[in-house]
Amino acid sequence: MHSEHRNGDTLKIEDLTVSYHTGGTSVQALRSLSLNIRFGETYGIVGESGSGKSTLALAVMGFLPANGAIESGRIIFQGEELRGRSRTAMRALWGMRMALVPQDPLASLNPSLRIGAQVAEVLQQHLGLKGEALRQRVLELLRTVRLSDPERVYASYPHQVSGGQQQRALIAMALSTEPELLVLDEPTTGLDTTTQAAVLDLIRDLMRVRGTAALYVTHNLGVVARVCDRVAVLYAGELVEDGPTNGLYRQPLHPYTRGLLDSVPRLGENKSAVRLRSIQGSIPALDELPGGCIFRPRCSLAIEICKQDPPLNPSGEGRTSRCHRWEEILRGEVSARQKTPDASLAKPHTARDETILGMEEVEVHFHRGLTLREMITAGRPPGVRAVDGVDLQVGRGSTLGLVGESGSGKTTLARAVMGLTPRTAGEMFLLGSELPAGLGQRDKETRTHLQIVIQNPSEALNPYLTIGESLRRPLQTLLGLSRSEADSRVHDLLEAVHLQPEYARRFPVELSGGEKQRVVIARAFTTNPDLLVADEAVSSLDVSVQASILNLLSELQAEHASGMLFISHDLAVVGFLADDIAVIYLGKLMERSPVRTVFDPPYHPYTEALLSAIPLIDPAAEQVEIRLEGEVPAASQIPAGCPFHTRCHRFLGDICVEEKPPWRRNEAGKEIYCHIPLDELERKQSRPFAFDSGMEQRG
Amino acid sequence: MLFEFKSGSRRSLGQIGALALVLSILLSACGGAAPTTQAGTLRVAMQPVVQMDPAYISSDSEVLVANHVYDYLVDIDSANNIQPRLATDWSISDDGLRYIFQLADGVTFHDGTNFSAEDVVWTFNRLRDPSLGLPTADLYANIDSIDATDDLEVTFMLKESNPFFLYDLSDNHALILKAGAQDPSTAFNGTGPFKVENNSSDRIDLVANTSYFISGQPKLNRLEIIFFDDEAASVNALRSGQIDLVMRMSTSLFSSLKDQPGIQSVSIPTNGFDLVRLRVDRSPGNDPRVIQAFKLATDREAAFNLVQQGYGAVGRDSPIGPLFTRYYSEETSIPPRDPQAARQLLADAGYPDGLSLTLHTPDTGGRPDLAAVLKDQWAEAGINVDISVEPESVYYGDNGWLEVDLGITGWGSRPVPQFYLNVMLECGAVWNESHFCDPEFDQLADLAGTTLNEDERIQAYKEIQKILIERGPIIIPYFFAQFAAISDQFEGFELKAFAGRTDLRTVSLISQ
Amino acid sequence: MIAAGNSGAAPPRGRRLNALLAGLYRHSASALGTSIVVLFLTLALIGPLIAPFGLNEQIATDALAPPSGKHLFGTDLLGRDVFSRVILGARQVLELAGTGTLIAVLLGTSIGLFSGYRGGWLDELVMRFFDSLLSLPALLLALLLLGTLGPSQRSVLVVIAVVYTPIVARVVRSVALSVKTKGFIDAARLQGESLGRILFREIFPSALPTLAVEASLRFSYAIFLVASLGFLGIGVQPPSPDWGLMVKEARAYVSQAPWALYFPAGAIAMIVVGVNLMADGLKRELQASRE
Repeated sequence: MHSEHRNGDTLKIEDLTVSYHTGGTSVQALRSLSLNIRFGETYGIVGESGSGKSTLALAVMGFLPANGAIESGRIIFQGEELRGRSRTAMRALWGMRMALVPQDPLASLNPSLRIGAQVAEVLQQHLGLKGEALRQRVLELLRTVRLSDPERVYASYPHQVSGGQQQRALIAMALSTEPELLVLDEPTTGLDTTTQAAVLDLIRDLMRVRGTAALYVTHNLGVVARVCDRVAVLYAGELVEDGPTNGLYRQPLHPYTRGLLDSVPRLGENKSAVRLRSIQGSIPALDELPGGCIFRPRCSLAIEICKQDPPLNPSGEGRTSRCHRWEEILRGEVSARQKTPDASLAKPHTARDETILGMEEVEVHFHRGLTLREMITAGRPPGVRAVDGVDLQVGRGSTLGLVGESGSGKTTLARAVMGLTPRTAGEMFLLGSELPAGLGQRDKETRTHLQIVIQNPSEALNPYLTIGESLRRPLQTLLGLSRSEADSRVHDLLEAVHLQPEYARRFPVELSGGEKQRVVIARAFTTNPDLLVADEAVSSLDVSVQASILNLLSELQAEHASGMLFISHDLAVVGFLADDIAVIYLGKLMERSPVRTVFDPPYHPYTEALLSAIPLIDPAAEQVEIRLEGEVPAASQIPAGCPFHTRCHRFLGDICVEEKPPWRRNEAGKEIYCHIPLDELERKQSRPFAFDSGMEQRG
Repeated sequence: MLFEFKSGSRRSLGQIGALALVLSILLSACGGAAPTTQAGTLRVAMQPVVQMDPAYISSDSEVLVANHVYDYLVDIDSANNIQPRLATDWSISDDGLRYIFQLADGVTFHDGTNFSAEDVVWTFNRLRDPSLGLPTADLYANIDSIDATDDLEVTFMLKESNPFFLYDLSDNHALILKAGAQDPSTAFNGTGPFKVENNSSDRIDLVANTSYFISGQPKLNRLEIIFFDDEAASVNALRSGQIDLVMRMSTSLFSSLKDQPGIQSVSIPTNGFDLVRLRVDRSPGNDPRVIQAFKLATDREAAFNLVQQGYGAVGRDSPIGPLFTRYYSEETSIPPRDPQAARQLLADAGYPDGLSLTLHTPDTGGRPDLAAVLKDQWAEAGINVDISVEPESVYYGDNGWLEVDLGITGWGSRPVPQFYLNVMLECGAVWNESHFCDPEFDQLADLAGTTLNEDERIQAYKEIQKILIERGPIIIPYFFAQFAAISDQFEGFELKAFAGRTDLRTVSLISQ
Repeated sequence: MIAAGNSGAAPPRGRRLNALLAGLYRHSASALGTSIVVLFLTLALIGPLIAPFGLNEQIATDALAPPSGKHLFGTDLLGRDVFSRVILGARQVLELAGTGTLIAVLLGTSIGLFSGYRGGWLDELVMRFFDSLLSLPALLLALLLLGTLGPSQRSVLVVIAVVYTPIVARVVRSVALSVKTKGFIDAARLQGESLGRILFREIFPSALPTLAVEASLRFSYAIFLVASLGFLGIGVQPPSPDWGLMVKEARAYVSQAPWALYFPAGAIAMIVVGVNLMADGLKRELQASRE
């Protein structure tokens, strides 16, 4: 990948076992893990929750919490054993020779110190710089991490800059002493797609230029593909497969790796053409691991031998696989793929003409809660225009995918549809009749027609109510069933989402994230709704269960012929599930297109940028780098004219600042909100992403 | 504040003729201030003084200091009899309007000037001058004129006769100052047995006035008044020998000193008492049977023994206590406690299931304890009371204490019993908390307060006691005790009911 | 990711209570506290059965008797058995503090839930009002109220309720504020659940762990407040065996009969410390069960 100036391993981990003690019991969060990070290498550690990937990062940094301990094994950094080093001895390394970029930048910055001072502190402490030299060095560092206005960031407090800027500042701090090893723990997880892309570019470039070795921990397969040279796949505390990113993605030699790669929709894939294969079951709890191969209960290839512990087999080209049957997989004798779901490919919806939900010029503006003083003085702070004039239709049986980054107003729009946050202007129609703005004005029947899959499954269910009660209530309140009638229906509902009836007696805490989401979906379908709103229905789930939920949603939707408003920040997921896609930016729609046209030009420039920013799950994929300038403006200060003009890479000039763009439509049904004519856009634009032809296609 | 009645005006009392007070003992050959040898220092624990102008003094410590720096015209002894002091002799006109006092000869003030009748005239004119607004103005309003009829003779003319006038002249504030004294609160120019040597915020030191007009007095060389805020602390100081005399303390502290070696404990009954009274101008107290029921349900002796631990004296439902030896009578017997009879009386009065009332009491002294004792005693007779303990300010505030049906009120010790009759029991009296109104009683009280004939007065008081025992709506279970404790190195200590008036002139160090 | 197993807030109820008790008895401090609380609750319950003498039974001949076989804790000035009075006082104090706390918890919970859930100007108004109440020291507020209401058992209940309702309301409100943004509340609203059900069935259980700790702390402070008011002589009235009142009465003759003061004072100290230790344990256990 890049030339090596030095040989040898920066970090060697040998046979590492880490355990945690809680309440008298002890679990092994990492078992016998070995890996080497060579000089200048970026090593991805990928895994789902509970895989032990963060534990690995903490163990390497020497940051294990008090109840965690290294049971056995060695961590050798530049030839020195780190295990057993005192905290004082570690302190000499921290910041200086190894540095951490954590997941939550705001939590890692001191809120009461200016960012410049915080970076300077590191330099002062480790390099002894002072005065103007120190300041110049800090500014230089801020420029290195491509902060557009380093002087301003230098003088700002952490809360005054955006999440992306905070994360860049943290990277600057981590790099300030030119450490030999950088540990990055999900550094872009909290960031928007477009910001993430820029930060990933930065990390990749910095690694290449400096030759720093990096341990990059993430759950995102696309991120790994974009920045890592090698990748290790962790499952329930064990390394199951390991190798150069390219080869591993091209031909995974462990059924889990295969399952992970199959679970995630590729950008441009749609349910009408592709089925997602989820991994059956869920990650076992660390204190209930099966004997033998730990993936056996979920593996489609499990045979008798799998009851024995599999060794970590060298599988060629610097690769290893902890599977008894890796050679069969390599030779193509067996397929490590999971079974295809029972349902066949989603049929194109039939009664598409019937509009379930219509919106005209819907606005949701709000004012934050007034303080007592403002109540008295009648002073009003400027309003926030969360949703600022949206027109949309959802047809029966069809899915409208709504894509936007954080702060785009997509969740507010969902709440306005549900009546949870009343719209402040505009019209909504449900089944042709006017939909009142507030929940209180909607009658029971209206509410029965509308259901929602609430964002985060761990918050969508009351932790103190049994699953049965959570499912029973809407049957009683909305359908007027008696308690016993409702109870018997709960049984059917659980079955419909492939859960055992006994789950009715369980509490949410006893369910995994995927199971909870199934319950939430079951609840949404209790009333056989005409319109289902799904707000980030899968984004908090592990990828291996995400696919099964997506499948379930489309299955149930087809069965009930409901219309669906599917909201997500992930264009690949939306593209997979939706029939039509709307892209929203600062409360305004930028584009409305049938899904088959979305991934081809012409695009709205914002869509184009999004498409180029999504980390593709293919290390060899080609992607045009379109990076947006600046930061998303605050929703209380939406730019005039085209709201996107401040960041647009196809900015025309004054017209974009002064005039609202027209909606432009082409014969394919694509609608774009832009001053640039569609044919001109089509001429200028090419598809900004292309998968490497070597990747296996799915069918 | 057990022994102080709420500061209030003393009523000028009725007329009386010659108070046949024979000057029983002339303590000294008056006149010659023969030099005496004083010895020993007595250290007295007292609460801090606030003001020292005799016209304003009120606390025990203030009065104690003043009583040793100055002299009264006439004094009251521990048996409540009038005794000579600066006045060695006096005569009273038959109509009781003219009092002529002969003054001691050879008396000098501490600044060396001579004492004369003018000083007495000046002092009392000051005390009675309405324009000065002193607390004594009311008390002496009955004085028509005061004249120095000779160098050592003073004549008082009254507007109306007053049988208790000599007691009025012995009022706490009536200390004789040098005529024209500029600043009585700091000058300390008295004729008394001790001179102020040092006056600071934590103590006052007195040294013997070697030219005191009563020969042989004082016997002590020094008197040190040491201020203590806390009575327990002063008792501890006495135990450890840091001080020699403590006056006024709680029953409990006093009990703990009783068997302490090296300390003599002194307890005398006063005429202060707790009054349990029932309001009689409305139901249920307006039925005499109810009053009788209360009286029959009460065991006064038991209450005395529990609440006062046997110190003081058992009461007989009359404010004329044993302290007033001449007036006190045990002729009328009190029926023994009989709860069953009480219950029957209540039933007769229309309360077959007993009577429920709230017993109000201030939160001071042993009154809440007395309430608990009475609750227990009365319960047997079917009188069920809920106790309501109130802060003194609440109990007395807004005259609530005059309104309630059943209450306990503390009354302080007074030099003459007539006071109680006039303010507490006469029909319509200001503090008639029981609303008692009995023509026969009023007639007797009026007679006792005005007659100049002592025998007549004694007889009237006897009959008053009989009336109160038989039908008075009051129960007086006990009279309080006054306590003091003094190192056994000293002798001649005689405690008075008002501790501040205790004379230390006669206390002396026991010679080894 | 770090701790294995499930994370969340609520294992089923039966298991929860047993685990809670077992947890309390695992640590010596909370075991001691719980035992003290249980002991006093038992005394409160069966006190009249085991007290050898009545609460105002005066044995004149035994007045101020030191502890002996007949009078385990001695007698007071009026010859009353201190042991019996301390035992009978347990019911008095626990009943008063318990009922007062209960009222405060019921009121505070209802107000806190409603105010937090409803939000807006009403919430602002209620909370500012409570803030103003809380700005006064508890004892001062109690004195003001008792001055107005007059001393009685019922007034003491009112005082405890008024003093502690704002505190409970604040705690419950903060839970309501954080819970009302959760998805399951949206779900309940969409289902058309009644306000009562949303407040008490959907939000209240989340407040329960915090409330349990808060309530037991309030209970211990209420015991202390009852005793303080008794001691100041403005709470319950004699001859009630209220411990604070007993201390006040015995203080007058402490040099003669220290036992009459030390035993009720000890009882106050013991129960307050006991409840506090238990509350600490409760907090620890509920926190542990949430992690």
